[in-house]
Amino acid sequence: MHEFAQSPSVLIEDTYVRVYFCSRPAPGPDGQYLSYISFIDLDRDNLLSIRRVAAHPVLSLGKYGTFDEFGTNPVSVIRDQGEIRAYYAGWTRCESVPFNAAIGLAVSRDGGETFLRLGDGPVLSYSPNEPFLLGSPRIRKFGDRWHLWYVAGKEWLRTEGSLEPVYKIRMASSGDGIDWVKHGEDLIVDKLGPHECQACPDVIYRGGRYHMFFSYRGIRDYKGRDSGYRMAYASSTDMVNWRRDDDQVDMGPSETGWDSEMVSYPHVFELDGATYMLYQGNGMGRAGFGLAVLQAPEQWGQA
Amino acid sequence: MKWRKLGKIFDPTEHVLPNRCVEFAQSPQTLVMADRVRVYFSTRERDSVGKYLSHVAYADFSRDMSHLLGVSSQTVLPLGGLGCFDEHGIFPFNVLQDGERVLAYTTGWNRKVSVSVDAAIGLAISQDGGETFQRHGTGPIMAASLREPFLVGDAFVQYYGDTYHMWYIYGSRWQKFSESEPPDRVYKIAHATSTDGIMWRRDGRQIIQDRLNDDECQALPTVICVDGVFHMYFCYRQAHGFRQESSRAYRIGYARSNDLAEWVRDDTAAGIDVSADGWDSKMQCYPHVFGCDGKIYLLYNGNEFGRHGFGLAMLEA
Repeated sequence: MHEFAQSPSVLIEDTYVRVYFCSRPAPGPDGQYLSYISFIDLDRDNLLSIRRVAAHPVLSLGKYGTFDEFGTNPVSVIRDQGEIRAYYAGWTRCESVPFNAAIGLAVSRDGGETFLRLGDGPVLSYSPNEPFLLGSPRIRKFGDRWHLWYVAGKEWLRTEGSLEPVYKIRMASSGDGIDWVKHGEDLIVDKLGPHECQACPDVIYRGGRYHMFFSYRGIRDYKGRDSGYRMAYASSTDMVNWRRDDDQVDMGPSETGWDSEMVSYPHVFELDGATYMLYQGNGMGRAGFGLAVLQAPEQWGQA
Repeated sequence: MKWRKLGKIFDPTEHVLPNRCVEFAQSPQTLVMADRVRVYFSTRERDSVGKYLSHVAYADFSRDMSHLLGVSSQTVLPLGGLGCFDEHGIFPFNVLQDGERVLAYTTGWNRKVSVSVDAAIGLAISQDGGETFQRHGTGPIMAASLREPFLVGDAFVQYYGDTYHMWYIYGSRWQKFSESEPPDRVYKIAHATSTDGIMWRRDGRQIIQDRLNDDECQALPTVICVDGVFHMYFCYRQAHGFRQESSRAYRIGYARSNDLAEWVRDDTAAGIDVSADGWDSKMQCYPHVFGCDGKIYLLYNGNEFGRHGFGLAMLEA
């Protein structure tokens, strides 16, 4: 692996916190990247201390002609009855548009060291009103129901010199995490208009409500500071109807440094009485991810 | 079952077709109407880079199939939008009268890098008796799944009892057969059911056993019920060398079922084979069986996958 540490997702162990993320080798002669899933282990007592970096990707790329032949990114992991499941977006390359994606499922039975696909195809694929680009999966289990928040492509737009997809946050639910029923509608109102792109809907339950952290951007000039990814927030009591209120997440870009241009792909988790957010910074995580801790947690959800 | 060949009945090169299409009339499939039999097929234009785009057109025949009444002059269903599953072609196009409306189960094609194409099944609906169709959403109703990883297509839908039944194919692997050529696809026939024709539950298995070998490609199932027995025709071929060698090219296969669950394959009972010479001497593919006025017909393509049209056979008592 060469650069990028994208879409961090944690698995909490007794003495350490494993952070899965997606990383990339140097691009090929055509300038295009592959993307693999890897991990680092952080000391549970000191999350700023890295005790191990995985030597190899935990999941191979998909076979020739399959949906994840050219990349696995982002990833979201969950422990369930002795195994660990990784839901990820698999990437393929196309002729008219540069790429497409669908959501895959791989399972680890060796404690998260290696993962095997449940099948060669995706676990969540295209449907009449989700025609392409299913990505950014975030898996959660509340009670005995599985919930998957993800994004679905709506349209490809021709902008100056490039094609840009528009994608919105969606949801599906399941009794086993394999057969999914899609909710079938956009969950989050746009702030930047119909061409807003929404990504990485990370949901936790706390204080009687569901809290979603996600990121969003416009479709132009989003690779710099002015219009790069920003953090956003919405809450819900039923997981279907969401009230967006970005002011609740006070996580703008820093003045300088690794997260001065963009902050995106939040992942929120609780550990030993504290609430943390992992997120990626400039260049869509080219230079890695960082950590934030919730201040004044007693005010959570009071606004 | 024995079929009497009535010869090639439609040649696309003899007609002016919409969308600049000049050759191919593939996978003929019928809508039996009050005063005619409408035969939808897929024809092709070449795009600006010289690659094919498949478009749906139709030809109308008299109910006894003896006269061609006319061909479509307008677009039946435009191709899908940028990045959509059916952006680069619709082929085949299976129609089903469903009350006042006509359902069309499409196979949409999109071009890829590494492999050349992928496919998924879409639904379009006509409210004007099959003249034009509108999509049910811009995405497919049935796409790749865990164990059907790509190339989901060739839907054929019938309504039996209170259930919609779909027979279709799914890609199982891309296999490398020679150093100098790209891998070839392998695909098999499967079955799904639905209560509304939109949301489908798949059996999740290959339902027709292979006869040639594991790499056998099975395509375009078509099913008809006669006296309580279900008869399936389909086409099958070797996975490699099927364009060059007639012995490896598509032939018509046959299977029979009493319950729509278990199928017994018996190609010797297909009752049709390639001719000694002529338009269907090297290949027979894309069968479609239908009944009209007490007769049962088989439409199919011949050599070169239907580049020069389709032909007809009639079941002998």
